[in-house]
Amino acid sequence: MDSSVWRARLLHGLTAVLTLGVLFAVFFVVPPAQGLGYYVRIAFFHIPVAWVSVLAFLLSAWWAAKVLRHHDAHADALSAKSAQLGFIFTVFATLSGAFFSKLTWGSYWNWDPRQTTIFVLMLIYGAYLTLRAAMPDPARRARVAAVYSLFSCLTVPFLVFIIPRFYFSLHPQPVLNSSGSIDMDPVMLATLLAALLDMTLIFWGLLYHGVAGHPPQGKAGDTV
Amino acid sequence: MTSSTFEGARLVLRKELRCSLREPAAWGAMFMFALTTLACVSLSLSGMTLEPKLLAALLWVILFFASMAGADRGFGDEDLARTLPALQLYGAAQAVLFGKMLYTGVLLLGLAAFTVPLYLIFMDVTLTSPGIFLLTLLAGLWGVAVAGTLLGALATGARVRSGLCTVLMLPIILPVFLPAIALTAAAFGGGAVAVSYLGGMVLYDLVLSVGASILFDYLWYED
Repeated sequence: MDSSVWRARLLHGLTAVLTLGVLFAVFFVVPPAQGLGYYVRIAFFHIPVAWVSVLAFLLSAWWAAKVLRHHDAHADALSAKSAQLGFIFTVFATLSGAFFSKLTWGSYWNWDPRQTTIFVLMLIYGAYLTLRAAMPDPARRARVAAVYSLFSCLTVPFLVFIIPRFYFSLHPQPVLNSSGSIDMDPVMLATLLAALLDMTLIFWGLLYHGVAGHPPQGKAGDTV
Repeated sequence: MTSSTFEGARLVLRKELRCSLREPAAWGAMFMFALTTLACVSLSLSGMTLEPKLLAALLWVILFFASMAGADRGFGDEDLARTLPALQLYGAAQAVLFGKMLYTGVLLLGLAAFTVPLYLIFMDVTLTSPGIFLLTLLAGLWGVAVAGTLLGALATGARVRSGLCTVLMLPIILPVFLPAIALTAAAFGGGAVAVSYLGGMVLYDLVLSVGASILFDYLWYED
């Protein structure tokens, strides 16, 4: 059995143990939050999937740049898989955010800046996957998908800095608030960090499982 | 841009204008799309008093979807006519890109010159800040022309072209679209708005132009 199989098994085992630990902490250890009660449990799913949505987008663009520079088929497979998973995680983030919004503010959707940001991210993922599906020629598909991935990255400063100026927000402050301090119960913070690591490992495992059939080298379009 | 690129872009623009004069259906379809949409909106809302923000949003929705009926055709038409390989053989990437962008810009200016006066009349809009409105319109059309040209090039060779560019375009153009609506609402008498929005639009247009210029080389020179 080669080392990559052992590494994969170790990753899966670690992820399973961490997932069970996080679930235990969320349901039996984390105290109710002030003003939110036990609804705060949703945050331990919502924040990690939202984080992975953004991580997947940036990784997809990173591998897209490698496709354009080196015509790397493996990078194209990683970029595509990262976008596919990013789309799924974005849907989870949107749905969990909408439920949290309904439970705490009384409506599923109100174009809060972060709702807008995640929705635009979902549109970008949707457009990217539609473009890939519409391209019959594998080599061209790899190239145009990479260009779109990088072109859509130009919207990131807008999503992060401009959108919040357009819309009033009811959204809770981020963990690291604008004054640079962390304002969260230590148990909650530890659980949240563990949940973030866990969701990142789940994403990483799914990503590499998804591209396991692709050779690590080759010209983009040969195998995808 | 070097002088040869500038000259090349000018030649591509001239070619595009000549071709479009020979085939006016593309212009006609885009203008009729705008007119039909405008008539639908105006008829369905006749007699109602609309807020400036809603008027601004409707105008930009009409302009966006009407432009999508023509702004992405620069490369698609070449592909259909099978003239793209010849253009790839003789045209430098930047000259072709900027020539096509300029042509799309001219097309969109024509569309705006046709649509906006009709919109102002049909919807009974009073322009309180024509200068801001004009600059917003120019900055908005610049963004649509740049993004439309690059995305039109991306969509070349796609199995399904209908609607593809609109899907690709919307998330990219939102940073232009939202400030444009806010500024247009202000120009329609909807209160004050920070002029920095206009600066933000122009900055984003520049970023799009540079990004499109860098990325287009990877599309144009295949291996």
